[in-house]
Amino acid sequence: MNTSDRQLRFGWWALLAYLTLGIALEALHAFKSGWYLDVGHEMRRLMFTLAHAHGTLLALVNIAAGLTARSVKGFELSPPAAWSLRWAALLLPAGFFLGGIVIHDGDPGIGIFLVPVGALLLLHGVGRVARDLARVQR
Amino acid sequence: MRAHLTGILQKLWPTTTKAHTAVVLAAMGSVVFFPAFALDFTAPANRPIKVPAGGYVSSDSCRACHPGNYASWHDSYHRTMTQVAGPKNIPAAMAGLERSFDGWDYRVELREGKYFARKRPQAGAAHSWSGPQQIVLLTGSHHLQIFWLETGEGRTLVQFPFAYLVAEKSWAPVVQTFLLPPDAVNFYAAGEWNGACMDCHVTQGRSRFVEGDKFDSQVGEFGIACEACHSEGAEHIARNHNPLRRYALHLGDKPDATIANPERMKTAEAALACGQCHSVWAFNNMADKIAWNQEGGSFRPGQSDLQQRFVVQPNTPDHAGQKKMIQDTNPHFMGDRFWGDGMIRVTGRELNGTLASPCAQGGEFSCLSCHELHPKDLNKAEEKAWTTGQLKRGMDGDTACLQCHTKMKTEIVAHSHHAAGSEGSRCQNCHMPHTTYGLLRGIRSHQVSSPTVGESQQHGRPNACNLCHLDKPLAWTAEKLTAWYRQPLPPLSADDREIAAGVRWLVSGDAGQRALVAWGMGWAPAQLAAGRDWFYPFLGATLTDPYAAVRFDAWKSLRTLPGFEDFAFDYTVGEAGQKTAATAAAQNWLNKVRRADAIYPPGVILDAGGNFRQDIYQRLRSQRNHSKIFLAE
Repeated sequence: MNTSDRQLRFGWWALLAYLTLGIALEALHAFKSGWYLDVGHEMRRLMFTLAHAHGTLLALVNIAAGLTARSVKGFELSPPAAWSLRWAALLLPAGFFLGGIVIHDGDPGIGIFLVPVGALLLLHGVGRVARDLARVQR
Repeated sequence: MRAHLTGILQKLWPTTTKAHTAVVLAAMGSVVFFPAFALDFTAPANRPIKVPAGGYVSSDSCRACHPGNYASWHDSYHRTMTQVAGPKNIPAAMAGLERSFDGWDYRVELREGKYFARKRPQAGAAHSWSGPQQIVLLTGSHHLQIFWLETGEGRTLVQFPFAYLVAEKSWAPVVQTFLLPPDAVNFYAAGEWNGACMDCHVTQGRSRFVEGDKFDSQVGEFGIACEACHSEGAEHIARNHNPLRRYALHLGDKPDATIANPERMKTAEAALACGQCHSVWAFNNMADKIAWNQEGGSFRPGQSDLQQRFVVQPNTPDHAGQKKMIQDTNPHFMGDRFWGDGMIRVTGRELNGTLASPCAQGGEFSCLSCHELHPKDLNKAEEKAWTTGQLKRGMDGDTACLQCHTKMKTEIVAHSHHAAGSEGSRCQNCHMPHTTYGLLRGIRSHQVSSPTVGESQQHGRPNACNLCHLDKPLAWTAEKLTAWYRQPLPPLSADDREIAAGVRWLVSGDAGQRALVAWGMGWAPAQLAAGRDWFYPFLGATLTDPYAAVRFDAWKSLRTLPGFEDFAFDYTVGEAGQKTAATAAAQNWLNKVRRADAIYPPGVILDAGGNFRQDIYQRLRSQRNHSKIFLAE
């Protein structure tokens, strides 16, 4: 399996996982779960929403990276870029999600510290893809 | 100018057109004229205004980080203790209100979202209405709302003479919403809100006396907000912009030194955070009062004394000079607030009770042992229930006491001599009886005590036993207390032996006793213990009591009795209306409601037909204590 295939496979599975999370959040709305919706748990709701939104978006970014590698002649997704994009798609949403499980009033739990790590990996991955694409001979 | 500006813009952005220049000019104009628009939002000059001082930042700054606490506080009656008046918080029925009192007609008009009151001599000519005075603030939202009018003298306020009774959805003269002598027609003079009420009904108020009747009052925040109990928030907010500091606090065990937190204070300091308002207090001296009025209080939660003020306890040796001066200046001061033995008898001053409680001597007991001011994990239904007494979960029952008195968990029946689960076995019914009064109702004493007959004989305070067993004479209680708790048997008169304590307090007692018993007859545990068949004639007769508050309580209790659920009575009517209502109540009871098998206990001076035994009733009535009672809530 080459890098673009791996990225596509990862992207689609990640998309499934994060969409499932979204549906779970909708179920919490449906059943008016106080643990999720009460005013005192505003931060949890924000964190879970961000986990769902970032996860879904980053799954799509991984799919886009895989498709880009297939469709642009001469472009190959470098392993570091692919690795960064996959880990960003794990760590960013995981940081938000874990940060929402235990909250401290207006602050998320310490899981939130995964978010900046994921964000750096995302910047690295996107930057590498952009740079490598720029170097492709037209 | 437009061409010149276009030239400049074209240098910066070659494609600039005249249309673009017009947009830029419009934007610049908005900036220039913004202050003119902003003038519409400047602070009003006819009422106290919110101006945070010192490190006070207001609750708006607390919400983002403490959303759960903020939400429950926001729903609490502390927040709405004082509000700027507007259509959202003024009762809808106030628009068009027309009422008369003490020789004056009053009417209220609603114009462009603002309420105005006018007055004229009663039944005066149409042209004799005074100019409109805007209703600018209101006090209270739970039981009672009181309204404040502009005076034209700076930010000085004067009281609108009618209050709104929230549960009853009715209006009453303010003087008839307190336990006051019947000849009282004026409770608050112009400027008293500024000079006195705002001491505790706002957060960090500054009266700022100017001259004459003129005040330029400012508040940190209307109502009782976060910083009233947590002190100034500016440093706390500034320091906690740093996320690392916040997480060190979240994950560690150390308190945040930048903010006062009563939950982490020693019990005396924690109690004082509440007691800064919930106590009978006085200024140390005139200089402190002047400083307080100009700059606001110097007390900050966490401190161990009230700084410019002190808590007035009648029986403690502290502040002897000041207390003597109070007594010399106002000989009724103590009597208007305390029972003869020094127990607080007015509501809103709970610290005086807790400080005098044996529980307080252990150093583990404070308001927060039972109360919680802003729980963050309540659902809507729980929160609604919490707002009434602001009690911690489960603290409305025995748990409040058993959290410390753990051994008693298995000994309640043996200790109380009442069946398990019965009202007589409830800790609070014996040790925190309804001997405090305010807001037109009996309220639990916060001085934890044990019932004695002596407290009733010597100080007139209804004892806990007879507040349930209203039908029993004091001798019955004395014998039980002697047998069960080895209390010495006090000397007992013939009436002590034969006549129900409840009857004597209601017929012969002073207005304070009458109010407590009239209210108590509507209290379910008392109805259960004493039987309610005999309450009817007594409550009916009490509808003519000279004290409005007593009439109100009698009417409310009467409505809890079968057959009187819809009994209508305006407790503010004059004597003729009172007599008509009392007659209607008597006829309804005698002709419709009275049961053939009704039980009239021996001490309640009713004959078998349910009629007063007139000889005894008239004797007791002639012995009534007519002392003027003024309970200074």
